[in-house]
Amino acid sequence: MATQTGQPGALARYGTEFREFLEETWLGYALVLPSVVLMGIIIIYPTLRGIQLAFYEASLLSPQQQTFVGLQNFAQLFGAAGFQTALWHTVLLTALAVSIQYVLGLGLALALKEKVPGAALFRSLSMITWVLPIIVMVIIFRFLTQNGFGPVNIILGSLGMETTAWFGEPGVAFPLVVLMHVWRNVPFYAIALMAAMKSIPDTQYEAARLDGAGPLQRFRYITLPQISYVSMIMIVLHVIFTFNNFDIIYLSTGGGPLGNTEVLATYIYKQAFQQYAMGYAASIGVTMLLIMMVFTVVYAHLEARD
Amino acid sequence: MATETNQQTTQATDRSFADRLDAWLAEDMSPRRALAVYAVIGLYMTFLLLPVFYMVLVTFTSAEFLYSSQLVPALSDFTLDNYVTVMSTGLFQQYFINSAIVATTTTAITLVVGVLAAYSLSRFEYPGRSGLLFTFLGTQMLPRVLILIPFFLMMFTIGLIDSLLGIIVAHSVLGIPLGTWLLKGYFDDIPKSLDEAAKMDGCSHLDILGRIIVPMSLPGIAVAGFYTFILSWNDYLFVSILSQTAATRTLPFGLQLFQSQNAVAWELLLTAATLTMVPVIVLFALVQRWVVEGLASGGMKGA
Repeated sequence: MATQTGQPGALARYGTEFREFLEETWLGYALVLPSVVLMGIIIIYPTLRGIQLAFYEASLLSPQQQTFVGLQNFAQLFGAAGFQTALWHTVLLTALAVSIQYVLGLGLALALKEKVPGAALFRSLSMITWVLPIIVMVIIFRFLTQNGFGPVNIILGSLGMETTAWFGEPGVAFPLVVLMHVWRNVPFYAIALMAAMKSIPDTQYEAARLDGAGPLQRFRYITLPQISYVSMIMIVLHVIFTFNNFDIIYLSTGGGPLGNTEVLATYIYKQAFQQYAMGYAASIGVTMLLIMMVFTVVYAHLEARD
Repeated sequence: MATETNQQTTQATDRSFADRLDAWLAEDMSPRRALAVYAVIGLYMTFLLLPVFYMVLVTFTSAEFLYSSQLVPALSDFTLDNYVTVMSTGLFQQYFINSAIVATTTTAITLVVGVLAAYSLSRFEYPGRSGLLFTFLGTQMLPRVLILIPFFLMMFTIGLIDSLLGIIVAHSVLGIPLGTWLLKGYFDDIPKSLDEAAKMDGCSHLDILGRIIVPMSLPGIAVAGFYTFILSWNDYLFVSILSQTAATRTLPFGLQLFQSQNAVAWELLLTAATLTMVPVIVLFALVQRWVVEGLASGGMKGA
């Protein structure tokens, strides 16, 4: 009896609660809906399709014909010399670029945080390399290192040193690519780290000074610990940017000379849009995604433990 | 005697120079420290800005100078020929207009969609909200080349290949997650007590958004708009697969106009590159204060 009378009452109560809940939240859902729909169609769906494609053999020339091949793409991938080289280049580039960017960014941050006249102007000026279109940066660097009349070669020539088209030199192209990454992103690190430094109260430095701590000690025990959170964000962001970056390398060297600067992103692009091997290309993309997810989780975990 | 007085005067002027420098500087800044700071900043600025400055300099000189293996142009080398040639090239004009249409439309769409989404994420509580926030951020991690393949097939199916609309849609969606995230950071900074007061006065949510939130976060909107604009203006990857003809080419892709497989018209390529960066630099000059501030607070706070 009790349950029989209780049920409709409970149901009605749930109904009212649900209506009240909707009244409070429907607009919230409605406002966020356009962005969710657009992202769902243009980012989420293609990503899921890309993951699915990784298990199929499919050609860009006849996208309708797709054969399920299980893990065959991945098996082929890990045995391919091209993939191994590209993976190694990607990891090396990311490690080199991010660590050099961080150290140089830290240096610039220390200078820009000082209260000298004009610091604000220099803060803004330094950001120019970061907002520049990548194609423009690439054109600048290609011009500077151009054989014959490129300024770098004019200077080297007048010193009696070897001149050549440096982007075409197997041993030089890779360092040049690292240099471009560094040149572009150092200001971003500098501004973010500078802001973190400026939020440290001066009183802490004064107290340390009174305790006899030198500049290096103050930097080590006051500055570094308090910029560690922003440092983590910057490093994770840039590892992801650099690992996934396509434009800088594709536009400057195209992966050459002789595959010396081939990274995963350019390798995928070529596999998909020049070899038309869609499934194979997708399996590389999935591998990249997995590596980045593992990296982010491990890094965040390590940082949380500290 | 004479040398002594001389020395004294030099010392005196030195001291007065140091004094003046000292007076000009903040209280806790010694002149020596200031000079060291300027030296470091100077090194960095040379490294960062000299390449850009040199490119711009060369575009104002004749092609003969560029190919002459000289580093410093003489006064007679300066000319506006390169700009005249590039700006009167029909295809360059076309690409520039395409870029402008794509970037401004993308920015407008992203801002409208982003402001609505950011308001929802900042002011409403509902199940799935934190999941959504995480998804917005997570999309930034996806390799774009992975999205590219199915995205290309999809655009092919719905016939948006080789249309400016297809490019605009792609860029907008790429901009929405970061734009929304930034805007939410700025909206969160506006005290909720203002909303409550407005609600008491009978304002609806849309009134609050239009009359309080948006006007009070104009710097944030400027920054989000700027990020979206450069994302679209600078994009090469998506344009390279979506654009098939000159009618839909934007500048980063269109700069190939001045280079072929074996020959590059450097004087024209550099000039076109300079013109490509001008809108970005001008916009940056307008919003730089807020961009730098936002990177410092709003941008990081959310993350």
